[in-house]
Amino acid sequence: MTTPATGQQSTSPRPVLTRRALLGAGLGLGAAAALSACGSDDPNDLSFWNFYGPSPTPSTTSDWFKSVTDEWNRNNDVKVRPRFIAGSAYLNGNTLQTAFSAGSGPDIFLISPGDFLRYQNGGALLDLTPYLPEGAREDYVKGALDTRTVDGKVYALPMEIEPLVVYYDKRAFEQAHLAESDLPRTWDQFLDVGTKLTNRNRFGALFETLPGYYQNFVWYPFLWQGGGGAVADGKSIFDSEAARGALGFWRETQRRGIAPKAALGGGSGDTPSNLAVGYCAMQQSGIWAVADLKTQVPKFEYGIFPLPIPEGGKQVTDGGGWAFAVNARGKNPEAAARFVSWALASTDAAGIDRARRWNTVAKTNLPPRTSVRKAAEAKGDFTSGVLKTFATSIAPTLRSEPRYPPEVYKAISDAIQSTQLSGNAPAGAARQASDVIDNFLLTYRGGSIL
Amino acid sequence: MPVDTTESRTTAPTTPAPPRRATRRKRPAGGQLARALVAWAIALLTVFPLVWLLLTAFKPEGESFSGGWPSHWTWDNLKFVLTEVPFPRYLLNSAIVSVVVTVLALLFHSMAAYALSRLRFRGSGLVLGAMVSTMLVSLPVILVPLFLIAKALGLLDNFAGLIVPMIFNAFGIFLLRQYYLNFPTELEDAAQLDGCGYPRLFWHVVLPLSRPALASLSVLFFLANWNAFLWPLVITSNPDLAVVQVGMSSLQGQYASAYNYVLAGSLIAVIPTILVFLLGQRWLIESMKSSGLK
Amino acid sequence: MAALTSITTKAAGKPAMSAERRKRETRAAWLFLAPDAIGLLVFVAIPMVFALALSLFDVDGFGNYRWIGLDNFHRMLSDPMLGRAIGVTVKYVVLFVPLSFAFGLGLALLVWNKFPGVGMVRTLLFLPNALSLVVIGLLWQFLLVDKQGVLTKMGRPFGLGDVSFLGDPKWALPTYVLISVWYSMGYQMLLFLAGLNDIDGEHLDAARVDGAGAWQRFRHVIWPLLGPTSFFVLITSLVASVTGLQAFDLVYVLTKGGPDNQTSTIVFYIYQQAFSFGHFGYAAAITVMLVLFLVIVTAALFKVTGGGRLHAR
Repeated sequence: MTTPATGQQSTSPRPVLTRRALLGAGLGLGAAAALSACGSDDPNDLSFWNFYGPSPTPSTTSDWFKSVTDEWNRNNDVKVRPRFIAGSAYLNGNTLQTAFSAGSGPDIFLISPGDFLRYQNGGALLDLTPYLPEGAREDYVKGALDTRTVDGKVYALPMEIEPLVVYYDKRAFEQAHLAESDLPRTWDQFLDVGTKLTNRNRFGALFETLPGYYQNFVWYPFLWQGGGGAVADGKSIFDSEAARGALGFWRETQRRGIAPKAALGGGSGDTPSNLAVGYCAMQQSGIWAVADLKTQVPKFEYGIFPLPIPEGGKQVTDGGGWAFAVNARGKNPEAAARFVSWALASTDAAGIDRARRWNTVAKTNLPPRTSVRKAAEAKGDFTSGVLKTFATSIAPTLRSEPRYPPEVYKAISDAIQSTQLSGNAPAGAARQASDVIDNFLLTYRGGSIL
Repeated sequence: MPVDTTESRTTAPTTPAPPRRATRRKRPAGGQLARALVAWAIALLTVFPLVWLLLTAFKPEGESFSGGWPSHWTWDNLKFVLTEVPFPRYLLNSAIVSVVVTVLALLFHSMAAYALSRLRFRGSGLVLGAMVSTMLVSLPVILVPLFLIAKALGLLDNFAGLIVPMIFNAFGIFLLRQYYLNFPTELEDAAQLDGCGYPRLFWHVVLPLSRPALASLSVLFFLANWNAFLWPLVITSNPDLAVVQVGMSSLQGQYASAYNYVLAGSLIAVIPTILVFLLGQRWLIESMKSSGLK
Repeated sequence: MAALTSITTKAAGKPAMSAERRKRETRAAWLFLAPDAIGLLVFVAIPMVFALALSLFDVDGFGNYRWIGLDNFHRMLSDPMLGRAIGVTVKYVVLFVPLSFAFGLGLALLVWNKFPGVGMVRTLLFLPNALSLVVIGLLWQFLLVDKQGVLTKMGRPFGLGDVSFLGDPKWALPTYVLISVWYSMGYQMLLFLAGLNDIDGEHLDAARVDGAGAWQRFRHVIWPLLGPTSFFVLITSLVASVTGLQAFDLVYVLTKGGPDNQTSTIVFYIYQQAFSFGHFGYAAAITVMLVLFLVIVTAALFKVTGGGRLHAR
């Protein structure tokens, strides 16, 4: 490992050792088979792993996955077989990693920004650019493809954009004699209002506490608001005033006792299990919560407001979301790429409607494509209520969820955990994380860290 | 490499024997009573979490966190996990894996133990020592290399992978060997006179005689494999191969808000364990009495 | 402790036999040994050696191997979180081993003598040990939910109502230790009961005749005679707490290593490095160091205890 810092270098690494050299090295058995390709299954039968459908419990998201694959299978010789993997196993577990390690990764799968670089650097993702219809790239809203692109080539197609806001319980506000005009805009205001909303049985606010990609994802906006970041020009820029401020803000919610140390149910993204049951009065969550609340607790009265910012900070939120990707070493990558491109990027009327249904009927997301958003608005979506707020005032403040490699993610995660939960000083935590990131960047080679 | 050998249960060298008559002494009735009461109190406290599990599994939705008895008893939670979640599949997978591992392990271990205890050959001490030394190695320690070996042998994401690596376990060999050492030497002599070969001797004489030891080991192995989590978690990604512990841990994420479902699943997963344990407990004690292990 | 008695083969006492028969016997022995010998070799011994080889490579989980020499070991030196993980395991061992020892011994003494329902009491005390660690993790998570869990509510009169047992870095490790003790004390009780039942009643009766009180009988008769059992309990709980399943399964279900890495044990950290981040080589390097450490500790213990004789008699 003598390569200098190559944060921006984006040659996809190839195995340095050949198979024969490895065998020669006497590693034998394990390494040999580890390198060998996966079995020669039917190239006309593609597996599509996702955590939506066909699920054992009926849902609109499951229906969408079924209808899309059914439609494809009716018109194509190469069949796509969707396979449902429980969300917890897919998101937090090692299911996907295990399959790829075993050389039996799915042909098509869903990938998050957090995993993107690892898979891309590992050579697991197929370049989808040649398969995209004319004009499709331009149709994607600004920035939507950036975190899925390496060297100008698109390696995954986003299906949605999921911005973060704060949801609040209208009744809790009334009980605390707070009016709509009291909705906090700054961190300080947020802490004050949170304090007023806290009582014996209810916390004022809820931010994620469980370590993981999700916690980092929801914390990044606070880092960006003050102009902070993690990596620039192959060096860590994490040790900054902005990072210290954002770490301090979350720490303060714990210090004042206005936020719990553990969320209920599925975590801080799960509004029905927390906000709606009166566990907290304000909760940071994503646009998906609109659909969750509507289907699970339709009577619950809530509102949303943009993430609070520091004095002098800029309004920004994090746009998460998953993407379709194709296994470059799959059984029939070309056909798989054609399917993905057809499912998400078709520019004909049917294709736009397919994407529209995912973003408005099956789930609530901001559509990543301009044409799709227009089609949705024509159908009356995003024209009223909280979804309109998302489309008009939140969308302009979007920044894509970063694609930090695991080492960078983990360093930041450790800093968040240490300040938020152990109450350690933000300065020390930021410095340590920055050192760890710099140390990692010394030997990093792969796609640029955005 | 099996049931993790450092995990406490599998290394239990002995099991509870009823106290011997000699240690039963007359004590002042008062002290005796106080001791019994304290013991009962601690025992009930110990199982309180399990009682709570049982209660919550039968509580209607929304009452999971309410104290005391359910407002009414409901089967809905159990019905949900058995119908809406592929729980029967999980149970079946676990049952297949546990039973097959147990049967094969007992066969292989008793064969090895027989060779190491009753047959003379050069290097037997060395083999025994090497095998016993593997008892130090636990699954979490060799997880990563074992995973890659399993991958090399095509043992990822299939039943063979769930079963084969879990069979081998020096503890079972060791325990059975101790048991066989206590067989009288006349055993072989008699068999030799009958012109019995070693395989037949093993199959017709040794195995039947080892029933008590095998019974107690089978309880240990079954429980360990039924409760296994780490290995199945790591090597399977096909949901059709999910064993009960893995399936349950995925309930945690999926129905996290609905503790009634998670606990109903836990209850179903625990029932076979408790049944085997309660039934097996008698076997365990029985084997101790007759085996001369003591 | 009979299971751990001497390692001599009974067959050694047999009379001499013919060369032909010896050959037959040797061949049979190896045939009988083959399945287990091959299995242990492939699934235990080779992985240990393989770990060493792997630790010299950068393995990314996508089939790419790259030789990097000792880089993985260098990296351990500058990995603050590995230090934290070692710290967590040390704290866990220091709390868990003595506590479960004390509980196990105490319970064994309590249920040694017969009283109405003693068998039931023993069964109930041992029951948690028969459960899976996944169920245990899920169950305790439920009992300890912030503000609403039944045990959290019971803590209110003691000023613990607002404590987040699994979410507060100060509480998470002690909570994890207590759950582990609850899980394993019944097993240790059984070990001690077996040891107690080996004690000759006459010793105790003699002590009683001499007017020895309960404490003196324990101190001068029971405790010395329990020596081998105690040693065995200590060793097994030490190994189990460092590398046993309780160091992984419980952590995975209860806390995923959090909060603030306070429950991230070494084995959990190894798992995370390999299966969450795809650093199989680095994980193997940590494995190698862990195995080295275990070998050294075990050797030291055997030395200190005079050859590691664990016999009861």
